Amino acid sequence: MRRWGFRHRRKNYLQTPQIGNGVLSLNDAVLGKKYRIVRINGGCRLNSHLCAMGFIPYEVFSVSDVSRGGSLCVVVKGTKFAIGRGMAEKILIREIEG
Amino acid sequence: MRREISIALSGNPNSGKTTIFNNLTGLRQHVGNYPGVTVEKKTGVINYKEYKINVVDLPGTYSLTAYSTEQIVARNFIIDQKPDVVVDIVDSSNLERNLYLAVQLLELKVPLVLVFNMADIARKSGRKIDIELLSELFGAPIVETVGRSGMGNKEVLEAAIDVLNRKKRKKVEIKYGEEIENEIVRIKSVLRREKIPEFKFDTRWAIVKLLEQDNEVIDTIKKASGLKYQKLEEEIANSIKHITSILRNTPEVIIAEARYGFISGALLESYKEVDTVKLDVSGKVDRILTNRILGIPIFALIMWLMFQFVFTLGKYPMNWIDIGFEKLGALIANVMPEGLISSLLVDGIIGGVGGVIIFTPNIMLLFFSIAVLEDSGYMARAAFVMDRIMHKIGLHGKSFIPLIIGFGCTVPAYMGSRILENKKDRLVTMHINTFMSCGARLPVYILFAGAFFPAAAGNVIFSIYIIGVLMAIIMAKVLRATRFKGMSDPFVMELPPYRIPTLKGILIHTWERTWMYVKKAGTVILAISVLMWILFTFPLIGDNYSTDYEAQISEIEQSYQSGIITQVELDEKVAAIEGRMAGERLGYSAAGRIGHFLEPVFKLIGFDWKMTVATISGIAAKEVIVSTMGTLYSIEEADGQSDTLKTALGKNYPPLVGYNFMLFTLLYFPCLTAMVIFRREAGTKEMLFQVGYTLLLAWVVSFLVYQIGRLFI
Repeated sequence: MRRWGFRHRRKNYLQTPQIGNGVLSLNDAVLGKKYRIVRINGGCRLNSHLCAMGFIPYEVFSVSDVSRGGSLCVVVKGTKFAIGRGMAEKILIREIEG
Repeated sequence: MRREISIALSGNPNSGKTTIFNNLTGLRQHVGNYPGVTVEKKTGVINYKEYKINVVDLPGTYSLTAYSTEQIVARNFIIDQKPDVVVDIVDSSNLERNLYLAVQLLELKVPLVLVFNMADIARKSGRKIDIELLSELFGAPIVETVGRSGMGNKEVLEAAIDVLNRKKRKKVEIKYGEEIENEIVRIKSVLRREKIPEFKFDTRWAIVKLLEQDNEVIDTIKKASGLKYQKLEEEIANSIKHITSILRNTPEVIIAEARYGFISGALLESYKEVDTVKLDVSGKVDRILTNRILGIPIFALIMWLMFQFVFTLGKYPMNWIDIGFEKLGALIANVMPEGLISSLLVDGIIGGVGGVIIFTPNIMLLFFSIAVLEDSGYMARAAFVMDRIMHKIGLHGKSFIPLIIGFGCTVPAYMGSRILENKKDRLVTMHINTFMSCGARLPVYILFAGAFFPAAAGNVIFSIYIIGVLMAIIMAKVLRATRFKGMSDPFVMELPPYRIPTLKGILIHTWERTWMYVKKAGTVILAISVLMWILFTFPLIGDNYSTDYEAQISEIEQSYQSGIITQVELDEKVAAIEGRMAGERLGYSAAGRIGHFLEPVFKLIGFDWKMTVATISGIAAKEVIVSTMGTLYSIEEADGQSDTLKTALGKNYPPLVGYNFMLFTLLYFPCLTAMVIFRREAGTKEMLFQVGYTLLLAWVVSFLVYQIGRLFI
């Protein structure tokens, strides 16, 4: 694949928050609980797209439906989205107490 | 003389943009494609006061990043075509999300009008906004509309004209925070120092895009600045590194946060009352429709209803059209003397064009149903429900709908594939759709299964359908692993709130599609049907019949006149001889010669030249195979029920060849009309690929079945 500009250099210095210590991937979200988005781990293209749909850090959301093995439904900024497992893997979240 | 101005409509998906467009332009719409891409371009013209307003409906997008073709198309239209005014349609019950696109339009510094659509729903939710203040903050007039009732149409046009005529527009600049702003200033100075030519668009905007690593903008600037780009690239990389190390996040995320920050700031100031009622996002209905257990059965039921609606209800108008064309053909045959011209008119043109027009009711009903499913919000749920299953074979949840339609007719199925946004998903779905055995193939199966397997005809036909489905699954996997490599789009899809669709919107949608079909397919098909007619007619046989049939006929007529045979016997015998003549004429024609020529290739799968000719005629339409077989076996008026034809086939071929013929008919590309539509939807290259690979596949599968089968039987 062709590498655009300088994207490939970024990985060296980018420290991504690790899963664990309260941070989970969206795939592990449980129905009905409230979460906060910690980070989006996509490429810049995907990040921009997800941000445009309202998936930005600090955003609070809830999971409204989980289909086993398939996709899940989340409500972000008043709109319901269906998200595939592969995409959900890239979104890191943290549960909000209370 | 009216002054000509142009307005572009932009907005999020599900913001009611299409309804507003329909309200503004009515039926004076033109549907085409943006050059080079399969994104639909809708335009309309309004005469309002002293203006002639050209309205362009941009594709519905969440943003103007370079994520999807739609977004790039929308952005490039604004940058390159420079519409006089951009009207952004906003769902006012969900301002925070919808205004994100508006902010991006502000960044582009276009003359902007904000339309707060669905104002009635927003008011019900208990929110009150200081429109004037918000309009001030965004530097753009805000018009409230209710798309459903058509409220606010005139105001939209007034606001647009007002913006256009305003001498000084207030410029709103979005601030992205200190770090980013510093980098913007730094890059600007780099540009000046390196003497990189001015960007085609606003410099600040371009720098922001570079920091966001927008492929499109990077490419354009690379081309424009040549070798100097390397220096710029380094500087941008430094900036990104700097921002990321300080803010612990990549610039594109920081910039997005700043945009949302601008929006929430503006909303916070202009909300008079904070919302008291929480909007229920169709929760209760979804609990049933996307239920883990009920979801799929409900979807199956809706698909079944749609299938019935499209094909059972469609049968009646199809019959009328069929009869109409038959009557027209008979009329011309009566009025004109028998000969080549009348044959061209009746068999070639009326037969060919009639064969296209006859699908119109199906197309109409299909797009009517798709519009209802889409506008009501169910389509997204269906994709959600089916996604898990379809994902396993490398397709999108929505692929299921065109595939189901394919069992009725492949032509609307190809057109229905448009509901898939991703190009690879769409192409794979189209390429395997031919294996969903369409209705026109059924007469062929009935004839052959009846001829060779009279005791188990039903099971044999069923087995063909199953093989088709299996073949579709296998080919989907194969295509996904080879030509259309790469994952389908990571799946994020909005599940819009359920709404009752408006009749006007649905009718306009249906009409557009139907007209497009009739117009495009009709012209091409006309030419091709004439070509097919020539192939099957020329060279004329003249006096080159193998025996003197004329003499035989006059002999029979004499024996009738002398009372040896009855009227009924006379008709039968004459018909038999005329049938034999037609068979010989066909054998003598170019198509017959091609059949003879190709026989060695088809011999390997057990076909003789007659089956080969029938297969060629099936290119025009699969059901034609039956009548061609009839002609070749000298039986007039052949249809699937014809017992004489069945006996003739049973005598001439072993059952294995009969089964193989059905397989071949199943697997090779559906028909000419379908291919014309395929070409329009996917381009010539893909159409040729479809023709090539289905023919090859059909031959290979039949070859294996015939050669292996022969060892056992």
